[in-house]
Amino acid sequence: MTSNLKGNLESKFALKVFSGKEFSETAFPLATNQVNINSQTTLASDKDNSQHVSFSDHDDKFWQEQDNVYYLEAPLAKVKEICCYIQELGCPLVLMFANDERNFQAGYAVYYVFAVREEGMLVVIKTKADPESMEIPSISNHLHAASGYEREIQDLFGLVPIGHPDAKRLVFHGNWPQGVYPLRKDFAVGQKPDFAQEKIRFQEVVGEGVYEIPVGPVHAGIIEPGHFRFSVAGEPIINLEAQLYYVHKGIEKLAEGQSLEKCLFIAERISGDETFANSLAYCQAIEKIAGTKVPARAAYTRVLFAELERLTSHLGDLGGICLDAGYGFANFQFQMMRGWAYSVADELCGMRFLRSVNKLGGVRKDFVSGKEAKLIELLLNIRSELEDTVNIVKSNSMFIDRVENTGILEPKIAVDLNAVGPGGRASGIRYDVRKAFPYAAYPNLNFKVPEHNNGDINCRMNTKIEESFEAIDLMIQAIEGMPVGKVCEPIAEVKPYRFAFGLTEAPRGENIHWVMTGENNTLYRYKIRTPSFCNWPALCHAVKGNIVPDFPLINKSFNLSYAGNDL
Amino acid sequence: MFDTLKKIIKYPRLTQDYPNRSLTPASFLGQTEIDTAKCNFCGECALHCPSQAIVLDKSARSIGIDYAKCIFCILCEEICQVGAVQTTNKFELAVRDKVTLNNHALCANALRDTPLSNKSNGESFYKTAVINEENLPNTSYETICSDLQATVKKIFGRSLQIREVDAGSCNGCDYEINALNNPFNDLERLGISFVASPRHADMLLVTGTGTRNMQQALVKTYEATPDPKLVVAVGACACSGGIFRDTYATNNGIDALVPVDVYIPGCPPRPQAIIYGILKAIDRVK
Repeated sequence: MTSNLKGNLESKFALKVFSGKEFSETAFPLATNQVNINSQTTLASDKDNSQHVSFSDHDDKFWQEQDNVYYLEAPLAKVKEICCYIQELGCPLVLMFANDERNFQAGYAVYYVFAVREEGMLVVIKTKADPESMEIPSISNHLHAASGYEREIQDLFGLVPIGHPDAKRLVFHGNWPQGVYPLRKDFAVGQKPDFAQEKIRFQEVVGEGVYEIPVGPVHAGIIEPGHFRFSVAGEPIINLEAQLYYVHKGIEKLAEGQSLEKCLFIAERISGDETFANSLAYCQAIEKIAGTKVPARAAYTRVLFAELERLTSHLGDLGGICLDAGYGFANFQFQMMRGWAYSVADELCGMRFLRSVNKLGGVRKDFVSGKEAKLIELLLNIRSELEDTVNIVKSNSMFIDRVENTGILEPKIAVDLNAVGPGGRASGIRYDVRKAFPYAAYPNLNFKVPEHNNGDINCRMNTKIEESFEAIDLMIQAIEGMPVGKVCEPIAEVKPYRFAFGLTEAPRGENIHWVMTGENNTLYRYKIRTPSFCNWPALCHAVKGNIVPDFPLINKSFNLSYAGNDL
Repeated sequence: MFDTLKKIIKYPRLTQDYPNRSLTPASFLGQTEIDTAKCNFCGECALHCPSQAIVLDKSARSIGIDYAKCIFCILCEEICQVGAVQTTNKFELAVRDKVTLNNHALCANALRDTPLSNKSNGESFYKTAVINEENLPNTSYETICSDLQATVKKIFGRSLQIREVDAGSCNGCDYEINALNNPFNDLERLGISFVASPRHADMLLVTGTGTRNMQQALVKTYEATPDPKLVVAVGACACSGGIFRDTYATNNGIDALVPVDVYIPGCPPRPQAIIYGILKAIDRVK
């Protein structure tokens, strides 16, 4: 049904393909003299017609190499209809963002990104917001996943989603003044607006015996800050509203105008324990724009590091679940293995958080050469201990009783909110970026993606256990199959106003970065969407009906990143 | 049950005896140093440094790294053509005085006017200092501070309760603080433990830049902690804002919001570096 989605969209809604060439033309008016007038209305299928005189062969090749991404331009009035049509075909909305394109006389653009996962294809609907009213039609009532994005765009760009069911602030709290929008180009990054004193409104649940429990932002454990407002009657949770963005640092704004090199270090610091997944997504996007092919040895090295990060993260999560269920022994077993995983990282690169490993065009140096046997020995050691521990944990009926049928994320909700990663896979979603949008050396390696359906803590735990074993196997495969050769292909100058996606499977799930280059090797716009952004609303649904004491356990089974969500 | 017991006795002791015994020399990346004898003062490293931590005066032929800002990314080592930059495995970098975190006079001047003078924070945050001037009319701040420090040592003795506050980190530092409780570090062996509320705490271990949205929560947490209290800034963000300096949503380090006793550089600092910093704050290491 989706195979001819692009053609359907073009004919059904009379959309034209947007290639981004228009940007280059506005930015470099000199070049426009030579441009064939038809080129702006040319469809992608006509790309091979050698009509575009102003763009070199390399440029045409560039747009074609991105051929798993289709940009279609749509009028604002039709956007809702188009988005609903695409969703009905079973393609989820995976990202939605705005971009200040006033420099190209294009006003504020809004991009809706849909994934055709069976075919490894992204469909991007681009529209222009009404510059007078600064309004966009809300699609949240039809596509629930859009709700967070629309609120985010409203806060950062001042585009009002008309018809949004609950368009309250998302990124900013009561201290941010009205009418100040940091991602507009006329807002300077260092500007610090005055503190406002607005009250934050929470969803109210009323009824006999209903009361609220406010928790956070400073919690009892050693975790990141966030405020949770529980509405409860007795023990069961009726509603949970999470007020996040306490660690909002303005990363997207900070990256604008910075060198591509510096943005790599910013990308590494989006979320501490997803350092490698984020830097890899960023590198892949830039490499796509630059047309650089990463050497095979670097691609294998990247798999090794990405899987090490997954293993470290999952071992910590498994320990956390056990700890929150009061199962100390198992927690210390997992923490011990996590410590061993960190020693693998030390052995490889000297950094526990895998920072300063990725580089645009490959990796910084040959991290693996000469260490193969030692690494495999360390990994096999973790594997055998993990096997023993999992056997003990799974045969503990008291523990399993606690996690089974607790914190169920209904498959329907998971699909509607585009739940990703282990959280989604435990609720019946069969999706892994490594399979659907293969990158690095994953196409050459064998691995299985866990399949679970019940959506409870037990399923999420089992998903993580199975992924941990797969991660170890993948690392060993990568070490054994690693071809010899160089590890980095330096990146030449990157052309301005080009854009590309970088997709990776972070330990927490699908991770999407969209970059648009600026002049002189800088970034014009950097949109980051980590898996946590999608899974936080899913978590709020998963706790409903559960008792308050089970919340930490459910929370830990998702173990979402606050930093990755808040940016 | 039998399997559980078997596992418990399988690994008798994993805990590293730091700081009583120094760590086995490992190849991990610690402090980056610039050898001024080798340096040709080309300025490439200062130009590329992602957190502007390298301060260079070409005419005076002097160069230095501000470790409060350094994110330990070793890019300078990679860039340097003459091999003047070396990464050592020194990790015990915590200091009491932020100015000593840079070995360069230029940085000292630049730093002097940053802490506690951040205009944008508004009047309300000035009242957070422990000592109220009106109550102590004839004493200088220096005397008050040294008196306070002596009191702190006397009262806390050799045990300490810590509350961790994430004021806008990337969560790297928080995972490393978490690691203090794992079998390898087991902080409780030193009489130090983490508590659930600031009201039970002697020390706040603060990570992150002090974001706009966390600002009030951090100050409230500080005020909820009974006096005398210690504040330790963990990581480049908490020390100086790190790579997230000067954005609309961050402060340049938590000392713009609360007084800080010890600064622990690193991005993130290794667990042992954090232990060192905590012990330094209560004077158990020199």
